[in-house]
Amino acid sequence: MKMGVMVLEGPYQHQAVDSAYYFIKAALSRGHEIVGVFLYTDAVNNVNKFISPPGERNIAERMEELGKMGIDIVACTACSKFRGMRPDIKVEHVRLSGLGSLVEFLQKADRFISFGD
Amino acid sequence: MDKVVILMRKAPYGSVYTSEGFRTIMGLAVFEMDLNILYMDDGVFTLVKDQKPEKLDMKPLGEGFSMLAEMNVKKFYVHKGSLADRGLSLDDLVMKVDQLDDAGVAEVLSSATKILPF
Repeated sequence: MKMGVMVLEGPYQHQAVDSAYYFIKAALSRGHEIVGVFLYTDAVNNVNKFISPPGERNIAERMEELGKMGIDIVACTACSKFRGMRPDIKVEHVRLSGLGSLVEFLQKADRFISFGD
Repeated sequence: MDKVVILMRKAPYGSVYTSEGFRTIMGLAVFEMDLNILYMDDGVFTLVKDQKPEKLDMKPLGEGFSMLAEMNVKKFYVHKGSLADRGLSLDDLVMKVDQLDDAGVAEVLSSATKILPF
């Protein structure tokens, strides 16, 4: 099945992005396809390459890992501007794009799953 | 065609969710989609008349929703129980919306192909 994912919360404050990560891994291991992950509102902060949590999971690296696997990870451009998430401080294998990408994922997916507060 | 429900569950000014939900509707409205907006829980406060959020450095949201009809977004629903729980009625709202009971909400949600909760 083709699945689209949206995340609405940033790193470490909420579980949303962690749940999304584990959901995506589980879905892939069962043969599903992830058409894209849209990082909306505070979720754009999950791809900050300067994230450096002492002794804990690195959420930005996890996003990069998913991007490296070929999953289209998109951080909302406007939300990034609001939060100072400049293109040069994001991890590799993710991109900045607008709501058009959210629409594209919605239309391509058989199921669309949101992770938020 | 996808039937998309934008689910507005939160009070309008304490967080960014309602205004981002509004922005999402604007973004989706230019595409070929069956767009439905459903207000429930504290989300019903979004449509209350005479909002003055300027002192919170926010722009009024209610009127913005009523202007979406010009973008061909015309299906607006409000959960009756959520209104009643907050001492509100349809007369308190900035625009005309369809009132749904619990079964009506379940029907709208179960008939949707995609749901975006804010």
